Amino acid sequence: MILDELKCTQVQVIDEINNAKTMKDIGEIKGKVFGKNGVLTSLSRGMKDVSAEERPKVGALINEVRNAIEKALAEKEQEVENAELALKLEKEKIDITEPAQGVKKGALHPIPSVIDRLCDICVGLGFSVVEGPEVESDYYNFEAMNIPKNHPSRDMQDTFFINDNILLRSQTSAVQAREMEVKKPPFKIICPGKTYRNDSDSTHSPVFHQLEGLVIDENVSMADLKSMLTIIMKRLYGEDTEIRFRPSFFPFTEPSIEVDVSCPTCHGKGCSLCKGTGMLELLGAGIVNPKVLEMSGIDSKKYRGFAFGFGLDRTAMILNSIGNIRYLYKNDKRFLEQMK
Amino acid sequence: MKVTYNWLKEMVDIDVSPEELAKKLTSAGMEVEEIIYQNEHLHHVVVGKILKIEKHPQADRLVVCQVNIGNEIVQIITAATNVFEGALVPVSLEGADLCNGIKISKTKMRGVDSFGMFCSGEELGIDDNYIEGASVNGILILPNDLKPGTAIDKALMLDDVVFDIGITPNRADCMSVIGIAREVCALLGKELKKLNLSYDLDVYAKDTIWDYVSVDVKTENCYRYMATAVTNVKIERSPLWMRARLNAVGVKPINTIVDITNYVLMECGQPMHAFDGANIGGKKIIVRQANEGETIDALNHSSYNLDESVMVIADENRPMVIAGVIGGEDSCITDKTNICVFESAVFDLKSIRLTSRKYGVRTDSSARYAKGVNVANAELGMARALHLVSKLKCGKVVRGRVDIASKENKSRHITGSVSIINDILGVKIASQDMVRILNSLGIVTKCYADKLECEVPPYREDIENDYDLAEEVIRMYGYDVYDNLGYNLFENATITEGQHHQRLWLERKLRNALVQDGYFENVSYTLVSGDINQKLLLNEEEHKLVRISNPIGEEISCMRTSLAHSLFQNIAYNLSVGNKDMRFFECGRTYIAKSLPLEELPIEKNMLAIAVCENDYNFFNLKAEVEMILNFTSCETKIQRSNKPFLHPGISADYVCGDEVIASFGKVHPVVAKNYELPENVFYAEINTEFLAKLSEKRYNVKAISKFPIVDRDLAVVVDENVTCGEMIESIKSSCGKLCYDVSLFDIYRSETLGENKKSMAFNIRLSDVEKTLTEEDVSAVMKKVLKALTFKFGASLR
Repeated sequence: MILDELKCTQVQVIDEINNAKTMKDIGEIKGKVFGKNGVLTSLSRGMKDVSAEERPKVGALINEVRNAIEKALAEKEQEVENAELALKLEKEKIDITEPAQGVKKGALHPIPSVIDRLCDICVGLGFSVVEGPEVESDYYNFEAMNIPKNHPSRDMQDTFFINDNILLRSQTSAVQAREMEVKKPPFKIICPGKTYRNDSDSTHSPVFHQLEGLVIDENVSMADLKSMLTIIMKRLYGEDTEIRFRPSFFPFTEPSIEVDVSCPTCHGKGCSLCKGTGMLELLGAGIVNPKVLEMSGIDSKKYRGFAFGFGLDRTAMILNSIGNIRYLYKNDKRFLEQMK
Repeated sequence: MKVTYNWLKEMVDIDVSPEELAKKLTSAGMEVEEIIYQNEHLHHVVVGKILKIEKHPQADRLVVCQVNIGNEIVQIITAATNVFEGALVPVSLEGADLCNGIKISKTKMRGVDSFGMFCSGEELGIDDNYIEGASVNGILILPNDLKPGTAIDKALMLDDVVFDIGITPNRADCMSVIGIAREVCALLGKELKKLNLSYDLDVYAKDTIWDYVSVDVKTENCYRYMATAVTNVKIERSPLWMRARLNAVGVKPINTIVDITNYVLMECGQPMHAFDGANIGGKKIIVRQANEGETIDALNHSSYNLDESVMVIADENRPMVIAGVIGGEDSCITDKTNICVFESAVFDLKSIRLTSRKYGVRTDSSARYAKGVNVANAELGMARALHLVSKLKCGKVVRGRVDIASKENKSRHITGSVSIINDILGVKIASQDMVRILNSLGIVTKCYADKLECEVPPYREDIENDYDLAEEVIRMYGYDVYDNLGYNLFENATITEGQHHQRLWLERKLRNALVQDGYFENVSYTLVSGDINQKLLLNEEEHKLVRISNPIGEEISCMRTSLAHSLFQNIAYNLSVGNKDMRFFECGRTYIAKSLPLEELPIEKNMLAIAVCENDYNFFNLKAEVEMILNFTSCETKIQRSNKPFLHPGISADYVCGDEVIASFGKVHPVVAKNYELPENVFYAEINTEFLAKLSEKRYNVKAISKFPIVDRDLAVVVDENVTCGEMIESIKSSCGKLCYDVSLFDIYRSETLGENKKSMAFNIRLSDVEKTLTEEDVSAVMKKVLKALTFKFGASLR
């Protein structure tokens, strides 16, 4: 009889379990079955009335029923838990297209960025980065660069003067002599910085940036200049960049050259940036004029040097396709944001 | 400078096209900036002879012309009224593309065919100075010696090709046709043809130069002065070939004598002047410095006050010419001139430069003198001018010439070395190639083993040493030798250690950190307006302005004394265009004079400045940014109130390290905000990066981490308003002693119940011991101590 009751209980309870929907339902079932007055508890209590020979059999069956119910409960619990979790997750769903929160990143300005890049490139090549004053003496800007007062080569640049002897440097070359006076050759330096010229139109800004490079060594030549500039330009504009020399004139170099760089936009095919020529005239360079070495106390019989210089505004404009030089100094957020 | 293909051909047998010649010149350092084809817009334009003119059947204002254009007769309709039967006129035919944009095609005008158009001078790009009648409002009536059918560019000598060449300052000798011709000779391997310098001279004439003029040179700024006289001068239009040359290089033809001086200037690079001999007072030319108070009415219709710095060519009475710069009105050649005195002189370039700059007058003559004219050149110029007088038959050359020279210019001997030149260039050029190149440039060179013996002509004053020779060799040998040079980096260079710049390197870290926090980097003009100090309430004495003597405009006339100005302007600009939420920073310099007027270089100081204009941004947001920056270096700082005049006195602070203020920050002063048209919630910080960069690299000294858990306690106390958070935290920390792990403020509360001038400050205190777990007794002992100290020092009461 107790065996029938047990079997019946199992069927009933499992049926109830199957119908359970929530953890609460499951808890109620647990109470009804295993609680103090639970069905199974009562039936177990009834064991004392079972005959000794039937007892093992009944005991086994009680265990079997208990196990079956517990297993069903565990399964149901898992099922309900999964359903409830799924529901919770579904409820917590958000609109992922809402904007990101917190501080949005700012951006570096293209000119200092270019300076950063060039410093990295050149330091890797053994150059040290130096600086010099922007309000400079006529001596360092001109005279020590082999540009005496009232010399025709002064016509090459319109200079801002403070007075007869002090001016705003018109070229970062002004740093050359300062460094030569204090450094012992051999050395390699670059000097990035602001330069000034009395010139303001659609392609010229009165304040602009240049980078000057100077190498003083015992045996360097135009060929070294070529190989070094090739590497710098490749690092800056891409591996397929080529450079070409053209004769020119600077008072502080002899021979002097202009350096054409293959157009990074069209790779030499010709485009609007290079005006169809495939090349851009980007640098001035040359072998340091021995007079310049001597003026700065370097023995021109023993040492030779080469120097190069170029405009960083133009470099930044080419690298970032900036069409208007005014953008560089307006600091309009609509421009700066594009540098992110 | 402009030269023409035909002019060069007169001096060199050129066997290459103009385009190829231009390419070669550019490759040798004579950069051809532009090639101008004079006849670019003259094709399909020919000389036509009007045979018959009839009324147009349908239009009163038009006439129908039958025109002989050489091999055929065409019908052309015109509205012009100055045409007549028998007239020679320029006729543009189908296919013509005139310089004013008009394209010609066959057309019907009111039902009658017209096969072209008659042209005015303007449509051919010429005026009266070139051909008489070219400026009239109507058709250009051509000289009647032209043959119908002749192409107009040939007929009017407008078929030349003009090169506009950029001459570098070291090559003053190339500021002339002959100078460029010498380069062309070297490039093409040709000989320079001798200029014709012969002229007719009546050796039996009684008069000599001394009958017309004597010269006295009284200044050392005149290196050479030559004068000759020409009598029976005919002032008229010079021949077409001469006008064509002058017109091509951009010089206005005027009359025979003036054109000759300009022709010689362009051809030989020798500035010439022509005086009306009748107007030379006392027949005396005196070259001297001007006297204070003298004036001159110049050819440009301006009057100039002269002084001792200015060299003049004077007669007995008055200055006639500002030497080398511009002539005077009352001694120049006029239609009535009968006797002409030519001057061919060489002046000190500095003197001419200064005078030219002083008066702001730049003429073709002054431009050449300012670059340097060779003393030997005066002779060439004078001879060539006299030759042209004979050729143009515009006067009788008088015997004898004045030639006063204080300097001479001879060829110089220098020695070079083949191996050194090759070392400089880093390529191997054979000695015979060097010799060939140098000789072709007129530098007479012989080679003995490694030695080059060079005779440098007087016009090449720029050639002095191996470096100069190397340049001459390589520019003619061709820089393309480097295009495919197999050469390794550092093949001949010493390995050196590259070092970043300390401050730039620190700045780079700070800049990138600021970018992560949403800041945009600015680069501003360091040139500012002169009212910067007033606008920022800065003391003029402590911020002495460096002022430019020749500024472009007042807005950019001084060097900035503070970065605040730049960033405030940038924010104001951005607000004005509707941009929002600006977080800006800039690394840059300030420039402050040590004394005024400036005697030594000013102090240039590198700073990092931050400016923010953003809703809900406050002082403490900025403080976090400043602390983030200071944290990059190893400096012990203290905070104190700032006295920066452009910051709000109550909402601003300085971080100091020793005596040095390394950062100032806070809210902008309301008056300054107004000066820059900014709202009041703008915040600004500036950090002395130069000082920070000098500090040693940050080092860390890691302490042991306690194995035992941290105990948290909160404590809220009520204090007077004037008690600062900083001193309270300091006190709490010292009370906790070595058990203190961290103390932080988490709330400030004010209310009526607390009372006026009171605030409740709530701190989170975190305690930890390295040796044991803290017990409740340990903790309450510490907390008691903390409270006791706060009560004692600040009158704090537990809330």
